[in-house]
Amino acid sequence: MSGRARVRARGITRSLGAVDVGRAPASPSATSVEPGDQEASSSSGLVEANIIPQWDKDSVCSGDSGQSHMERSMRMRRDLMDLEISTREKLAHVKDCKTGSSGIPVKLVTNLFNLDFPQDWQLYQYCVTFSPDLASRRLRTALLYNHSELSNRTKAFDGATLFLLQKLDKKVTELSSETQRGETVKITVTLIKELVSSSPVCIQFINIIFRKILKKLSMYQIGRNFYKPSEPVEIPQHKLSLWPGFAISVSPFESRLLFSADVSYKVLRNETVLEFMTDLCFKTGTSCFTQMCEKQLVGLVVLTRYNNRTYRIDDIDWTVKPTFSFQKRDGAEITYVDYYKQQYDITLSDLNQPMLVSLLKRKRNDNSEPQVVHLIPELCFLTGLSGQATSDFQLMKAVAEETRLSPLDRQQRLARLADDIQRNQVARFELENWGLHFGSQMSLTGRIVPPEKILMQDHVCQPASAADWAKDIRTCKVLSAQSLDKWLIFCANRAEYVIESFLSCLRRVGSSMGFNVGYPQIIKVQENPGAFIRAIQQQVNPEVQLVMCILPSNQKNYYDSIKKYLSSDCAVPSQCVLTRTLSKQGMMMSVATKIAMQMNCKLGGELWAVEIPLKSLMVVGIDISKDAFNKDMAVIGFVASVNPRITRWFSRCILQRTTTGIADCLKVFMTGALNKWQKTNHDLPARIVVYRDGVGDGQLRTVMEYEVPQLLSSVTKPSANTSSRLSVVVVRKKCMPRFFTEMSRTVQNPPLGTVVDSEATRPEWYDFYLVSQTASRGTVSPTYYNVIYDDNGLKPDHMQRLTYKLCHLYYNWQGLVSIPAPCLYAHKLTFLVSQSIHKEPSLELANNLFYL
Amino acid sequence: MPNRRASRNAYYFFVQEKIPELRRRGLAVARVADAIPHCSADWAKPTSTLLGEPGMLVPKPSVSPPDISSLSLKSDQALLGGNFYFLNIFSHGELPPHCEQRFLPCEVGCVKYSLQEGIVAEFHSFINPGEIPRGFRFHCQAASDSSHKIPISNFELGHDQATVLQKLYRFIHPNPGKWPPIYCKSDDRARIHWCLKLMERDSEIRQDLELLTVEDLVVGIYQQKFLKEPSKTWVRSLLDVAMWDYSSNTRCKWHEENDILFCALAVCKKITYCISNSLATLFGIRLTGTHIPLQDYEASSSVTPKMVVLDAGRYQKLRVESPGFYHFNSYKQEQRFNASTGDYPCGVKFSGQNSTVRGRGITRLLESISNSSSNVRKFSNCETSLSSYVPKEDGYKSFSSLS
Repeated sequence: MSGRARVRARGITRSLGAVDVGRAPASPSATSVEPGDQEASSSSGLVEANIIPQWDKDSVCSGDSGQSHMERSMRMRRDLMDLEISTREKLAHVKDCKTGSSGIPVKLVTNLFNLDFPQDWQLYQYCVTFSPDLASRRLRTALLYNHSELSNRTKAFDGATLFLLQKLDKKVTELSSETQRGETVKITVTLIKELVSSSPVCIQFINIIFRKILKKLSMYQIGRNFYKPSEPVEIPQHKLSLWPGFAISVSPFESRLLFSADVSYKVLRNETVLEFMTDLCFKTGTSCFTQMCEKQLVGLVVLTRYNNRTYRIDDIDWTVKPTFSFQKRDGAEITYVDYYKQQYDITLSDLNQPMLVSLLKRKRNDNSEPQVVHLIPELCFLTGLSGQATSDFQLMKAVAEETRLSPLDRQQRLARLADDIQRNQVARFELENWGLHFGSQMSLTGRIVPPEKILMQDHVCQPASAADWAKDIRTCKVLSAQSLDKWLIFCANRAEYVIESFLSCLRRVGSSMGFNVGYPQIIKVQENPGAFIRAIQQQVNPEVQLVMCILPSNQKNYYDSIKKYLSSDCAVPSQCVLTRTLSKQGMMMSVATKIAMQMNCKLGGELWAVEIPLKSLMVVGIDISKDAFNKDMAVIGFVASVNPRITRWFSRCILQRTTTGIADCLKVFMTGALNKWQKTNHDLPARIVVYRDGVGDGQLRTVMEYEVPQLLSSVTKPSANTSSRLSVVVVRKKCMPRFFTEMSRTVQNPPLGTVVDSEATRPEWYDFYLVSQTASRGTVSPTYYNVIYDDNGLKPDHMQRLTYKLCHLYYNWQGLVSIPAPCLYAHKLTFLVSQSIHKEPSLELANNLFYL
Repeated sequence: MPNRRASRNAYYFFVQEKIPELRRRGLAVARVADAIPHCSADWAKPTSTLLGEPGMLVPKPSVSPPDISSLSLKSDQALLGGNFYFLNIFSHGELPPHCEQRFLPCEVGCVKYSLQEGIVAEFHSFINPGEIPRGFRFHCQAASDSSHKIPISNFELGHDQATVLQKLYRFIHPNPGKWPPIYCKSDDRARIHWCLKLMERDSEIRQDLELLTVEDLVVGIYQQKFLKEPSKTWVRSLLDVAMWDYSSNTRCKWHEENDILFCALAVCKKITYCISNSLATLFGIRLTGTHIPLQDYEASSSVTPKMVVLDAGRYQKLRVESPGFYHFNSYKQEQRFNASTGDYPCGVKFSGQNSTVRGRGITRLLESISNSSSNVRKFSNCETSLSSYVPKEDGYKSFSSLS
């Protein structure tokens, strides 16, 4: 329906993903003030603490900060947690070698950098206790560092844990110091662990060192990424500025630890909240100013440049002014004006402005009241893009032009970052202190797997470009099509004029692809959702094969109510088109072709196939998303192929009450799909390959231990003496590595079908990267596949090529897509259910791709 | 996301719920650990009276089996004539558990309904939600925007809570005597209960309303009639249909004018439509405009025919003989019905043709349909009214499917 959603689903605009776009949606996890951010910023705070004015009416303190810090700093990053799960060792056929062989080798440059350690590099972790206990971390640090045993060593201390590069003489060291007030404090330093460079704690530690280094390079941490406010890119016509920056991480790859960096942008509006308010007041007048202000501002994310933190505006407090005082943590009263003067040397100009209220995330799940922060509008800059802005084509184009970096630009940025890290004195000193050496950019060899042929009904076509074969198959007949005899078109009174030419187009393209489109019955209705629904309720009967609605606007009401009624109350495939789309005369043929293909699929037709050498193979795609209304509901989509040619699909979707993205209902799904397969093929499939999308960081273990057994239990049915063999592949669209090909002194995107299965992979997993999408502008991001369970014992080469073949089978796009087709179908299904239907679609539609 | 919290026992949550109250008593409790000594005594004593206190409300949805006697389902006749009240109260979202105020009531809808008569009376009012807890404006605004879209402040139609409650209680209970039970959907029960208690506290009216769930009511009626228990899933799907979303005279005036689907009154009315459509037909009640919004269908099929056939010659063979409304799932549905109830067709009674027809012009509609139609099956949706024209096996079809 919505073109943008479709493009997004196809994954072509993914290169814009690095930009923080959008007004904060209702879900707190999607804002830039997410718990992860706070975690990242606090663990990086080994050296300094950020203090923000906190003002609590009931002055309920959230407990002593020192203790909470100790707990947090030792918490593991989620993606590192995944690394502890070693799936490869159980897969005998890939234990020694997980690389494929077919295809042309290609030399690739990556965004990964070598990180060299001395041979016997080790880190010593100590626990430090103070007696009597001291609350202030600064005091603890000062006391500890004063001792001669430590003063000339390389060290890091966060208030509780001390890291040293050289071992202390004794396992337990007792120290004693005196504070300025004359108290004697006993310090006990106990060795806990000796860490090698591959241990998770150590990796986290090195990450923190690099975060410190980036700060030294005058970059500021916002969220998880680092930005450089000193080199902004201005887009004056839209009052925007972009801060360039990087997302960095250090993590273990196939043979060693590597540093990876990717370019990221922060979108900021060159407007403070106060300016916005003044402007609004001028426009609306004072009478309804406060209301308008609340309406427009509440929910936006602002950035305070004095500490480069982001907050969401949860409320506006019109009764508090900057001249009011608040209580600091230590209990002293101070006015906001004075506080900003003292703390940041900022003089506020408007002393009558109201205060913005932001609710802080509760860091621990204790029972303290939510902490709120008061922010000064004058110091808050609007960030991100509002919904209004994202629908502004010109604005988005201007932003995309700056942020969609070509591979060459990206490569240059990375080279500059590497250069900065290596040249900057402080950064080098820091690295050398810890015995690290920042090495060169890594290049590796990938393979381009051979292109696939597209099988049509009476024609085998070798597309000129796998990215888009629309032209190549224009004259070919589709594999199978049902004749469409009885169907209805509902359109608004005013839209009548588009129908005649559209219908003749549709019939023409239909007949050329072998899809016989009969004349519909046309019903004109008034222009409101209620009229559409009522007309549909009256006219749709069981003989109707398909309902087409020509909608006057893309108002969500129309689409939602029609889809809701026709997918669950009364199961008939439906096709919605906007009047606007049909009134573009020049585009009519291509629009009609796309619609004809979609309609054919919705009726159960098949468009094309690729050659799959494996006989009796079922492929399955699973995706999970959250319901748009009810965040506690997860929508789980399951799409399985039901014929050996992999052209017909069985789709189911269930809503499940859960807060985690883990599916409960896979057994039901799988059993249903197997029954369906057995009915059509009179046998069970010999092999099943499941592609699971939507697995977040840190969830791998749960998928492995909870979802795989569900699938297994339904596959190994006692009745059948030969059970199907199962493989489960976790698909991830977002991954850190990027690959470029080097061509005559410049770099380009890697060609379609590039597979990387060495060096940038993880040693404990059976994994590979596959580039199956093109980026017309910008840099392509590869898709990451991790085979976590494999009974089939397919050679890695075959697994990779099967995955590549499956990326050709998405019928809503005549070209390759970024993830295997079943996954994208499942995604499309969950998208429809979570956004529009909000309940299970009718089972009668399960055999059609009704959600395309 | 894995749950990183350590597991907590019931006592922990008990203490957590107690904390706001302890704070009100002036005790310095920042964390659960601080509150434990103050709570031990309360933990020991039974806590059945806790519901009156805000902050520890949100009762568990009732899972007890439906009390048939309370439904007064003594006989068919009593059941048919008996009045049921359906109530719903909307809130501006739900605030997290650590807040004292969990809901902000903003709209109330209530209908009085009987199987025989359909909707007898209705009550609707917007409620002034009061001050929004500091810092939660975004939360409430987002919740409102995603559903009923009632403005969270400065809404001129909102009345104060005490007045609304008074009016509501007068609507439910105009004469002295026993209070009738009130029904709501099980998912909404906790919210409605909490909101009623909040409003009661502010208006100093005390009335322990008996709040039962519609699902149990449907199960009860079904059991009473057919001596079999329908499945919960069936009941849920029966109540959860989208087909009445845009029916006229269903939403309140404000929601209708702004074309917003979520309306407290509409939720109540749609419950009655579903019950009428599926259960009333089983009792052989003639469906009228007060049972289901028949007027929509009458208006569009007889007054302004919306179907226009372009280029008539070519479409001739596809043209439907007459406009009608038909719901094709119904046949299948009936079979399912049959399977679950066994003997039920014999229980179906049809009232005679000469009984009074309620509603707006329904007789005219039925006549026009019966005159224009040769194929009766096409109009099975309003078949009970047409029962005298149709063969018996078609006669018990309901207006729409239940899938």
